[in-house]
Amino acid sequence: MTGQATPATGWKFADIIAIAAIGEKWEQVRRYFFLRESTYDMTNRCNIRCDGCYFFNGEKQFAPENLNETAWQGLMEAEKARGITFAVLAGAEPSLVPHLCRICADTIPLGAIATNGLKAIPQDIDYRIHISVWGNDSTSKAIRKADDMLVRQMANYRNDPRAVFVYTFTPHNIEEAGEVTRMLAEDGQQITFNMFSAPVGYNGPLRHTPQSLAATRAMMTELLADYPQTVLFSPYNIVAHTHELGLHALFSCSYPRVNPSTAIGLGRSFRQYRTDLQWDRDAACCVPDTDCADCRHYAAGSAVVTARMYRHAIDPDTFSAWLDYVDTYLAVWVRGYEKGPNLCHRLVVPPPDGQ
Amino acid sequence: MTNDIDQTIHRIAEIIINELKLEDVTPETFDADLDLVDEVGIDSMDLATIALVIRDEFGVRIDEDDYPKLTTIRIIGEYIAEKRNSVE
Repeated sequence: MTGQATPATGWKFADIIAIAAIGEKWEQVRRYFFLRESTYDMTNRCNIRCDGCYFFNGEKQFAPENLNETAWQGLMEAEKARGITFAVLAGAEPSLVPHLCRICADTIPLGAIATNGLKAIPQDIDYRIHISVWGNDSTSKAIRKADDMLVRQMANYRNDPRAVFVYTFTPHNIEEAGEVTRMLAEDGQQITFNMFSAPVGYNGPLRHTPQSLAATRAMMTELLADYPQTVLFSPYNIVAHTHELGLHALFSCSYPRVNPSTAIGLGRSFRQYRTDLQWDRDAACCVPDTDCADCRHYAAGSAVVTARMYRHAIDPDTFSAWLDYVDTYLAVWVRGYEKGPNLCHRLVVPPPDGQ
Repeated sequence: MTNDIDQTIHRIAEIIINELKLEDVTPETFDADLDLVDEVGIDSMDLATIALVIRDEFGVRIDEDDYPKLTTIRIIGEYIAEKRNSVE
């Protein structure tokens, strides 16, 4: 019976947010509901070449570069005019085109840049900066062919409040996360976690298995407990990103690539621009060319889990877990947003639609 | 029946005004046929919030797949009436 009033738990939404700690965090995060994101590939060049790189998969890598500043200015103004309030600058390596990044930041003041961190992005570009880490320096040398990556990344972004390191778990670097997190903690940095998600057609050794997901869950849990000031994550992030089901199966992804509706939300507003400043609705999601069934990307979860607020408002624990997730997402993506303590410390089961 | 729907529409207008802190509009002046996305600027998170308040007040669950259809206050009012009738 689809018209069921209150959820089976018997909790009304008003009663859930009447709990002081929940109500406080609810009011804090809902102030950011105005965020509307789109993503932009800035250049098709990179200063390193990593095994499994998302950019150098699929068609988008072959789009010609448009380095014309007037064209970028026009694009950003048009994006702002259609309601985009958050710009994500990615692919292949935005730090190689700081003048274009600056145009974006000057036009749309909130945003984030995904970078390998080997070339410092000028301070006046006041976006959150996500620095990718794929293991310790020995592993980085093997799969990214670059020496001393973490040391160089930390040096470039020491005492820089824009920076957050993004550690991508593969089945082969799980134990190294402890060493990397410790080094970042000692350097006063922050870290959040990502999961390797296989590109379409990829069946290589980086694809997660049930065993590697379980081991990753255990490591994330340990690091969140041991480094609460360094690790931007929550128990519900751990659940959502290490579940045997991917994000699409758990939460029904709302990016245009799998969502035909253009009426509201991401299906209406999200675009993923290639370096030629064109976009394709059929390929539009935060990391195109990912196998949707295997998608556990941190960027995808930030939008997809957040969008499913309604189904989480069934009891205080489940809604607290959702709030922790959104609190984490905002802290990772929005400059100046301070994450509070997590409210829910148990591993909540993701609720299906229809509660 | 018409009166019931009018009351529902009035209450939905109050909820939207309150939740979105809209100014320069009252439940009486809120055009029930205004497109909430195109003309009011509501997005999915706003609608989810409104849907939760509606669930509390009217005892009606709004399916996630139905969000795109709920483009005006009148349509939301009719949706609520239909759902309530289906359980009576």
